[in-house]
Amino acid sequence: MKIKRFIHRLFGSKQQKPSLGGTSANPSEKMQKIMAMLSATREVELTCDEVFALLDQFTELAAQGADVRKLMPLVQHHLDMCGDCREEYKVLANILQGTA
Amino acid sequence: MDKRTNEEWVADLRVGGDRQAQALEDLRAIILRGLPYAIAGRIAPNSPQSEALTEEVVQETLMRVLEYLDTFEGRSQFITWAHKIAVRAALTELRRARWREVPLPEMEASEDVDTSYRELPDEQASPEEQLSRAEMMSRVNRIIMEELTDKQRQALTAIMEGFPLEEAAQRLDTNRNALYKMLHDARLRLKKRLEKEGLTPQEALSVFEQAGK
Repeated sequence: MKIKRFIHRLFGSKQQKPSLGGTSANPSEKMQKIMAMLSATREVELTCDEVFALLDQFTELAAQGADVRKLMPLVQHHLDMCGDCREEYKVLANILQGTA
Repeated sequence: MDKRTNEEWVADLRVGGDRQAQALEDLRAIILRGLPYAIAGRIAPNSPQSEALTEEVVQETLMRVLEYLDTFEGRSQFITWAHKIAVRAALTELRRARWREVPLPEMEASEDVDTSYRELPDEQASPEEQLSRAEMMSRVNRIIMEELTDKQRQALTAIMEGFPLEEAAQRLDTNRNALYKMLHDARLRLKKRLEKEGLTPQEALSVFEQAGK
């Protein structure tokens, strides 16, 4: 009963007061997302500008079927972490595929 | 004509006069063929909005190509390089239009960490699982509050809410590159602090994955 009361105290209120992540998504989903991000975090990562400088080369190699994860692992890692750069990569890849 | 070699593209765009004008015209046509891939699924194709965006992006791309021509190192086809510039310009505009009206999520700074991350009970999780999940949330929240600056927390909140980095950066008076660096630093700090407390992100993750099963 003690545990039940404690859980009720923790979860019983419908009023949320998130200090991170707003209110629009399940907090545990956000927590999973944060932990997944931390798990993938590396000491050294390329920035968006550094990836942008290499993105044309990377996209051409990928379009040719090269193992870019092996050839350009830091670029691939950044694309895994950065939604903006990943979106740009996907559009560029589609252009190469569609206009080749 | 888009069968120029990389060297020919660079030479024609540099030379000025009719040759440059023709190269710009050819490049314009190439960029126009690529832009529908950036617009698709984001705004209605052939709409006035799409036409205005296309024209703006083409102009901006041609200007940037000329401005940054000396930085082209020939590690890809010249037109891939030009498409890359066009894609960045197009998606920047599209993100701005899409997120313009959305306020940056406010992070509520709270010392009362125990009240954070409350959620309704997951009926599939056992009471013990719910308890360990709540404890983990409280613990991670405390670490976030202690390790990150207000700006880092706000940026992390925005990204978790799906804000594009570019847009979040603009609202936070910085740029995308600097914001990525700031978030990288934040992630490193959190990861190291978790490790210091004898916890890996994978272990923390497993608590929530178990609860979700």
